[in-house]
Amino acid sequence: MNNFITANGFEKTFRYIKLIEQGIFTTVMLAVFTVVIGFILGILLAVMRMTDIRPLRFLAYGRNGRIRNNPVLIAISKFNPVSFLATAYVEILRSTPVLVQILIIYHGVFGKLIELPSFTLFGYLKSNRFIPGVVALGMNSGAYLCEIIRSGIQSIDGGQNEAARSLGMTKTQTLVHIILPQAIKNILPAIANEFVVIIKESSITYTIGVQDLMFAVTAVQGANYIVMEPLLVATAVYFCLCFPTSKIIAYFERRMSRGDKR
Amino acid sequence: MATNDKLLQVLNLSKHYNKGAIKALDDVSVDIHAGEVVVVIGPSGSGKSTLLRSLNLMETPTDGSIFFHDIDITKKSFTDEAGKKHKVNINLHRQKMGMVFQHFNLFPHKTILENMILAPVKVLKMPKEQAKEKAMVLLTRVGLADRADAYPIQLSGGQKQRIAIVRALMMEPEVMLFDEPTSALDPEMVGEVLEVMKELAHAGMTMVVVTHEMGFAREVGDRVLFMDEGKILEQGTPEEIFGSPTHPRLQDFLSKVL
Ligand SMILES: Nc1ncnc2c1ncn2[C@@H]1O[C@H](COP(=O)(O)OP(=O)(O)OP(=O)(O)O)[C@@H](O)[C@H]1O
Ligand SMILES: [Mg+2]
Repeated sequence: MNNFITANGFEKTFRYIKLIEQGIFTTVMLAVFTVVIGFILGILLAVMRMTDIRPLRFLAYGRNGRIRNNPVLIAISKFNPVSFLATAYVEILRSTPVLVQILIIYHGVFGKLIELPSFTLFGYLKSNRFIPGVVALGMNSGAYLCEIIRSGIQSIDGGQNEAARSLGMTKTQTLVHIILPQAIKNILPAIANEFVVIIKESSITYTIGVQDLMFAVTAVQGANYIVMEPLLVATAVYFCLCFPTSKIIAYFERRMSRGDKR
Repeated sequence: MATNDKLLQVLNLSKHYNKGAIKALDDVSVDIHAGEVVVVIGPSGSGKSTLLRSLNLMETPTDGSIFFHDIDITKKSFTDEAGKKHKVNINLHRQKMGMVFQHFNLFPHKTILENMILAPVKVLKMPKEQAKEKAMVLLTRVGLADRADAYPIQLSGGQKQRIAIVRALMMEPEVMLFDEPTSALDPEMVGEVLEVMKELAHAGMTMVVVTHEMGFAREVGDRVLFMDEGKILEQGTPEEIFGSPTHPRLQDFLSKVL
């Protein structure tokens, strides 16, 4: 190991081009599936956090139907179990490392509780590695997307809700036809950003054997006793995936905000 | 109980904020008769919007009742003549009460036509084609048929408010509630909106209008309510209110706005 980085090292690395290509494809697939799962989960969590379900509401009212003066009972009456569950989920997933979450999902949930059928996707991807990886990343991403979606919903002017409700639309109809379409348009850049974040974060799934780009890197490293060359190739690939995507997002962001000001 | 020509009956209505520290409405009672144009005037913060917005329960009153078609819509349930108990479905009642806002509140992600047909199609289950035809008739009436496929952002304030009015009319409401419909408009656009409202009044629509347009109140109003500090201090025909106001607060208010 005289020379730190050698042309020979790169040549050796590129002999594994097929493996690297598969790794790139896996990484992109991981990100796509994760954002889709995370987005659906995020909407669900955001709606849960914003519900107004208070089963103990009656505690706030006295026999005569008037609001009580007891601050403790008033506080308890505001308890919303649905929102509490969603909030707990979001806070726990945002306050623990994604690596720990992935290992728990892989070894705990899919290792012990749920048996996954073992098959190959796209001719090379092991399902019993890929699926836990996607589920774990999606669950994590859902927590972040929930907060993004929530802020998107809250940024919609209250007059929109009032206008829809005054026309006789239900809460759900208003959410589906009026609030969500506008909120999602507003947060599209943030969602696309999350996509870029996940492309990078998904590299962590190689720890459970998902055959992504980092998996290819470690395979090449181990077979050839070279360290830096495969890492540099991976660096270049990640950069080429993320940098243009960020630039494209920024471009659309500028264009969309221009449209709004007109 | 309300009799039939009273479309809306407000009884001892109160709305408190901050645990009663602010009385936006303080024991207000008033009837709105079918076909009547009621104009609500009063200084800023006197509770005009709160009263109007309580009528379709955009605000939940702290106390009191609002009867719409003899049903107290502030309660959870009502009992019909046969003695059967029904749940009060506020969405059902809101369909019959159109509301027009100061800031128009058109849906920016939908075209004018889509804005108009959304609620009839989704709420009343009207066939889309029928809703479109109906929308075009209304758009023609307010002179905006050529803007059907435009987005709200492409319209002037006056045009937006005219659309907001016909959007509400698509539901064939029995009463129209207006909260300062011309206050956010450039002066040159106020006229076109008031014109549409006048036509509506002449067509026999029941209307409750919060406004600072005293000319409109005088010309179109059947009855004027003067509010101050959450109470209706004086009410009467426009001639009475503007010609011979009795309450000193009303006299003071009129001397400032006229
Ligand atoms: N959400 C709220 N929280 C606390 N106080 C409120 C709230 N909404 C209204 N109020 C208060 O209630 C009172 C009546 O308000 P309202 O909006 O009905 O007045 P208004 O007559 O419509 O005034 P304006 O002419 O300015 O529109 C005001 O003192 C206002 O500050
Ligand atoms: Mg007001």
